[in-house]
Parts: sequence; structure tokens; C-alpha cells
Amino acid sequence: MGSDIFEVTVNALKLVTIFLVMVSLVPSLVWLERRGAAFIQDRLGPNRVGPLGLTQLAADAVKFIFKEEFVPAKAIKFMFYGAPVFALLPASLALCALPLGPIINIIPFEAFGQTWGPYIFSIQGYEASLGILFVLAASSLAVYPILMAGWGSGNKYSLFGALRGSSQIISYELAMGLAILGVILIFGTFNLNEMVTAQNGPLSFSAFDYSMTLSFLPNWGIFYQPIGAFLFLAAAFAESNRLPFDLPEGESELVAGFHTEYGGLKMNLFFIGEYGHMIVASALMVIFYFGGYLIPGVSPEQVTQFLSGFIDSQNMTAVLSGLIHLGAFSIKVFIFLWIFIHVRWSLPRFRYDQLMELGWKTMLPWALGNLILTAVIMAAIH
Amino acid sequence: MTAEVFLFWFLAIVTVVSALGVLFMPNPIYSAFSLIMTMIGVSALFALLGAYFLAGVQVIVYAGAVLVLFVMVMMLFDLKSEIKAFTKGTLGGVFKIGSVAVLAGLILSAIMVTTQGVAIKFQGQADFGMQPTRLLGNKLFTQYVIIFEILGALLLVVAVGAVALSRSKGGTHARRID
Repeated sequence: MGSDIFEVTVNALKLVTIFLVMVSLVPSLVWLERRGAAFIQDRLGPNRVGPLGLTQLAADAVKFIFKEEFVPAKAIKFMFYGAPVFALLPASLALCALPLGPIINIIPFEAFGQTWGPYIFSIQGYEASLGILFVLAASSLAVYPILMAGWGSGNKYSLFGALRGSSQIISYELAMGLAILGVILIFGTFNLNEMVTAQNGPLSFSAFDYSMTLSFLPNWGIFYQPIGAFLFLAAAFAESNRLPFDLPEGESELVAGFHTEYGGLKMNLFFIGEYGHMIVASALMVIFYFGGYLIPGVSPEQVTQFLSGFIDSQNMTAVLSGLIHLGAFSIKVFIFLWIFIHVRWSLPRFRYDQLMELGWKTMLPWALGNLILTAVIMAAIH
Repeated sequence: MTAEVFLFWFLAIVTVVSALGVLFMPNPIYSAFSLIMTMIGVSALFALLGAYFLAGVQVIVYAGAVLVLFVMVMMLFDLKSEIKAFTKGTLGGVFKIGSVAVLAGLILSAIMVTTQGVAIKFQGQADFGMQPTRLLGNKLFTQYVIIFEILGALLLVVAVGAVALSRSKGGTHARRID
């Protein structure tokens, strides 16, 4: 955690803040989703409670908390209560391991009659040395809350929803994993921070003594892995159970799928888990393919230099530069969250056999082909 | 007690208790969920030893993929007749006692070997980043490449065999003979 009280405090605060940001982003996303859906469908959406309907979120939260506590007679209580709590874990564990900004170097400073520092802080919950493997491991546990909810509810619709959900998640995990392997081959590392720093500068290809630089494009992963990026995005939709892959919920057939029997705050926890997956998937998309926290055309050093022009303190400059990059990262993530929402209201739901066929017979071969092509090219270049 | 020792004992107790749960739970579904807990506990113990890659793979492969299939299959089957068939009969009893004896022997010999063997020295802070993974990959694809490939072929044979069995007469996906 750290060597002295200041470092420990900052690191603990970071963890708590990232979790709270994830949880409190959900109501805003729900608002965005409802308003966005309304505008896509030429309606107005919730606009009565407060300015632009923004306090609708608070009203909803209060409603969720004060709803009646309800457990079905045939439910298995332990699993029924455990599932929503477990649903929060994978997304928050994964999100805490993602780099949200550059590393901040703090030089020694004086405060409270004592000299503190030097410190090195990274804008992420904790740096897992496994990087991407840790994120994959955490999000591979996301199947269990669904299975627990489906089995624990003692309801056939719930069970069907859970079985559909889990089979969908493990089917698309393969295509997703293979797409990520392509990224790992390109960058040659598991470490997400190194992946982001490798995408700094203008786009430049180099092979067999030739090199080509396109100065108007950033050096982003998507220009190396276009097929992989598309496959990853599609698999991310399936992994977070979003339309067009929301078979586990399938209102027309299964009432509400695995959370048929859940109401109030318990239902809300599942909701937060689902949106958490969306946030993690968007963040991973940005880190792998869209330069992470880097601002296109401007390197972190240039930002620091620009800031030091009118701020004296070196520490303040470092922190401000970190916050600016955090802002860039958030903007990119929000663009992808908006794509998630836009797709939900643009595409119809798949049929179950179409879903399985797409996963196993289309995406898996394409992902394998992409991986083999990448490996062959990388081997030829080096 | 340092944090590491505390973590070890905590994880060890969780792992052993959930491993016992696999055996003593009355319902196979609960056994499977206990097995998941055991896998996560073992993975956390690996992480505590500094074997981060093994820890990650343990969770991804076992907890994330294999056991999901276990749980799904068990949720779809009506296991009551299987449980009855498994818990009755003298022949079954002999096999059960025999397998318990074999398992106990294995555990005992493992304890004997580890207590009499040479302790492996933990060489400081574990290497962060790609280095251990790279070493493991190099070993797998150079020194042990034949064994590695044979294992892959074995898994392929098992998959083909499962498909063939399910499609043969009396299987779940038997071809209809009109």
C-alpha cells in the first residue's frame, strides 16, 4: 500500500473513489440511456423531475431503497441474497486494475512541519502485475452471479435466463480472448500501462528497413488490429449482456430472465454490475485500441511543459497533467458508452441459434484468423 | 503476525473448508460452488507465493470456464437417480473405500515428501511484468514442446470421442434411424 501514512491514505482513497465513481456513474448512465432512447425514438423521455429530468435519478434511487423486501417461497435464500452482492465484484475488481491516467511523480514537499516524499502515484486502483490477465480473470467470474441468481430464485424462467446468459458469456469469451491475444502480440506485454505508453506519438509502421510515418494519425492500436477491435467490441456487447445480445433477459420469452424474482435494491445491484461491465469494456476498448489516456497529437511531456509555463509548483503541474489525461480518458470512455447505448436502440435482438452461430461459426474463426495473421506478420518483421 | 502470514492462514482455512464442502455438501450444485471457492482460494495462494501467472490462469481456466460447464450441466440434469445409484451397493462401497484409501495415501506421501524435502528459497520480491510468463512460455515451447503438443492432441481426442459417443446409438445426440 505504501511506505508512510500519506501514501497509504492516497492509495486507499484512490480505491474507494474508483469504486464510488463506478457506482455513481450508473444513475447518470441510466438517465443518459432513457433520454437518449427517447430522442432516438422521437420522444422526450423523463423530463419532469428537476432540470432536464436529472433528479429523476435521485427519485429512482429512493424508490429502489424503499421497495418491499421480497423472497420467493421456493428460493434458496443463501444464493438468492448472495447473487446481487457477488454481481458487483467482478466489474469493480477489473475497473480498479485499469490505468486511468499517466504516472504522477511527486517530488519531496513540506507539510505539517515534516518533509514528505518523493512518491510515485499511478492513477489506477492498484497495479496488478498480471495486467490484462487479471482483468480477464476478474471478469470471467461474472458468470457466477447470473447462475446463482437463476438457480437460487427457484423459478424456471430465471433458470433458463441464467443458462442462456452463462452459455453466451463463455461462448463469446473465446472470441474476446483471441482478439486480446492479438493486442498482446502487437505490444508484447501484459501490462496495460506499457500498452498505453506504446501508443504515444504519430502512427509509424516499420518493417524490413522501411519505415513510414503518418504524422496526422495517432499511433493507436486500432490501426494495427482493425479486425481485432471490431471483434472485441462485438464480444464486449455479448459479455455485458447488452442488446443485441440480451437473450438472458429476453422479455418476450422469459419475463426478465435471471432477475425475474429480484426487485428494489437487489435488482439495482445487478444493474450496477451490468453497467460496470459496460464501463470496463469501454475502458478496455480505449486502452487497447484508442490510445488509453493519451491525447492525440500531444504527448504527456508536452502537456507538462505547457502547464509549467504558468504554474510554479512542479507537484501541482504533475497532478494537473494527470487530471487532464484522466479527462481525456473519460471522454473516450463516454464515447464508447454512448455507442453501447445507441446500438441498444438501433438493433433488434438475435434469436438464440443465430447468437450461437455468430459466436462459434463466425467470430471464433475470424478471431483465430486475425491471431494467426498477426503472429505471422510479427514473426516476419522481427 | 505479519500481513502475509495472516493472509496465508485466512486463505488456507477458506480453501480447506470449501474443499471439505465439496465432499460433504448434500446437493451436487453446492459441491460445485464450493469447488469454485476452492479454486479461487488456491489461485489466491499462488498469488501469495508470487506465481501471478499461475494464479491468473487458475482462475481463468478452472473457475471461469471448466466449472461453469460443471454447474450448467448439473443444473440441467435430474441427479436424484444418479445419487441413489452411487450411494447403494457393496461393489460401490468397496470402490469408495478403496479410493479414499488411495487419496489418503497420496496426501500422506505428499506431506512426507514436502516435510522431508529441501525448502525452496523465496528469492526476494517476485519479478513483476512479463518476465516469468516469458520464461514459462520459452520452456513450454522449447524444452517441453513434444509433451505440450501431445497433451493438445490428447484433448482433441477427448473432444472427438465425446462427440462420437453422444452421436452413437443410445447417446444424447443419436442419429435417428428411420
